[in-house]
Amino acid sequence: MSRVGRWCVGAGMAALLLCLPVLFSLDYYLHIFVMAGIHAMLALSLGLIIGFTGQVSLCHAAFYGIGAYGSALVSLHFGLPFWIAMWVGGLLAGVLSYALGRLVLRLKGHFLAITTAFFGVLVTVVLSNWVELTKGPMGIPGIPRPSLPAFLGPLAGFESRVAYYYLAILFVLGAALLVRRIVHSRLGRALIAIRENEELAQSLGIETMRYKVFAFTLGGGLAGIAGAFYAHYILFISPVTFTIGESINVLVMVVFGGMTTLSGPILGAAILTILPELLRMAGALRLVIYGLALMAFIVWMPHGIVGTLRELIVRRESESPGG
Amino acid sequence: MITVFFQQALNGIILGSLYMLVALGLFLIFGILEVTNFAHGEFYMLGAFATLFAMTGLGVPFLPAVVLAMLFMAAFGVLVERTVFRAIVGKPLINGMLLSFGLSTFLTNLALLLFKADPRKIESEFAQIHLSFLGLHLTLERLLVPAVGAALVGFLAYFIRHTKTGKAMRAVAQDRIAAQMAGIPVFRIYSITFAIGSMLASAAGSMVGAIFLVSPDMGWTVVLKAFVVVILGGMANIGGIVCASLVIGLVESLGGGFVSYAYKDAYPFLLLVLAFLLRPEGLMGGTKG
Repeated sequence: MSRVGRWCVGAGMAALLLCLPVLFSLDYYLHIFVMAGIHAMLALSLGLIIGFTGQVSLCHAAFYGIGAYGSALVSLHFGLPFWIAMWVGGLLAGVLSYALGRLVLRLKGHFLAITTAFFGVLVTVVLSNWVELTKGPMGIPGIPRPSLPAFLGPLAGFESRVAYYYLAILFVLGAALLVRRIVHSRLGRALIAIRENEELAQSLGIETMRYKVFAFTLGGGLAGIAGAFYAHYILFISPVTFTIGESINVLVMVVFGGMTTLSGPILGAAILTILPELLRMAGALRLVIYGLALMAFIVWMPHGIVGTLRELIVRRESESPGG
Repeated sequence: MITVFFQQALNGIILGSLYMLVALGLFLIFGILEVTNFAHGEFYMLGAFATLFAMTGLGVPFLPAVVLAMLFMAAFGVLVERTVFRAIVGKPLINGMLLSFGLSTFLTNLALLLFKADPRKIESEFAQIHLSFLGLHLTLERLLVPAVGAALVGFLAYFIRHTKTGKAMRAVAQDRIAAQMAGIPVFRIYSITFAIGSMLASAAGSMVGAIFLVSPDMGWTVVLKAFVVVILGGMANIGGIVCASLVIGLVESLGGGFVSYAYKDAYPFLLLVLAFLLRPEGLMGGTKG
């Protein structure tokens, strides 16, 4: 695609995103869009770990949950505003992510996947049983909303979902810029080298363990911030949101969009948040269809939507004589 | 106290035998096809339902029903391998993983739709026979689990070690391309592997259905624990799997009985962490992945 074409597509997308709350003003639609934003943050951060560094993690929802609980608890107990509490949640998730990474990232492939899956189970078990802190399966209600000084306008109190929608766009944009910045730097090239061939990367002097732990920590931290956003948006959290099922869900979003791209996870998150809602009319058949669709997708489009589109574009450009 | 201990230990061995049967199938499929089959628990669930229906529908007694279910599930396993997993042979591991997640979601929810969510019990004729020795009580039905487990493991070990097909399976696990060049029909070996794995899972499911309950969502928790067994067992041989499954079963049962029941699902992970700390270089080839 030409440079101008790309700018046009970008500008069109931006305009569409900004106008969405006007086009779909029902709370139900807005809720789906906000959830798509939260999922996009999760998918972006998991994409850094899986897509760019090549480390399969099945516990992303655990860091999502740790961030949510961390932020909710400090804002409830110490009265901290969302804007500070969310960093606490992100930091907590990042620290635990770092500790887990140091412990398990020497494992590879399937071994890493299953070990992280069990860490996810462990976090769910702890959240459900550490009743003094987390109130167990009852969950934590009454989490305060974010708020801004009132002179900033009618949305500053975060009473409407429109405010959350724009905040989600800002968060996703921030996460995307951060990941983009990393991927296009020396750091990112080291991560990609590890994905492509870890032994070779190591022999070239890349300290693979340090870089893997870095990607894992940052990915976990970002998931924690997404969790904080979720907690202060839904205003109630309980362990069932942060199970291994959610980890797999996010993983599917990443692969569905195209895990080695930046736009892939965002697109995957958006589609896979909206599509299941449309499938609701299928009732009990919904998850049967979802399972079948997932299988068909993995077999026919293993590189995800963005990856497949890119292949098509490359093929067309190489076929047309003008290039 | 000591009686309670032995009673819990016995339960642990029964639990371990069940994990072992599921884990052996996972281990074979992983070793030979290099796929982490998260849908393996659904084979176990379907095996349990097959036994249930053979008994209620055809009026077959328990043990023949278990065998019938195993044969049915072997055919089902071959079907799944040919239609689903063959498409991703040699693809990155994440593809196989997601494919099996999809299959697991599909089978669980299809079962939920067809068989409904309410748990059912397989009424075996062995449930009525009580045994007691040294103050321990158990039904013959429970004793059947380790016995059937041991018999199946013995049979599997013999099959892998001494038959021509077993040798071919080992060759494919070592080097798929070299095996293919030596004239081994690799795809047929894949089908046989799935058939064996499904049969073992089906046997485990049937026995769980007799001791506990049968329900469409019974597969998921078992498959995760079976994966821990496979990792702890070191991916090396059947002996490792047997030991690891007994350890997991005992830890879960004794830990649940004496330490904390609420945290019993966390024990396998703690065991994994402990193993990493004791063997920081990774568990027997665990870093080779």
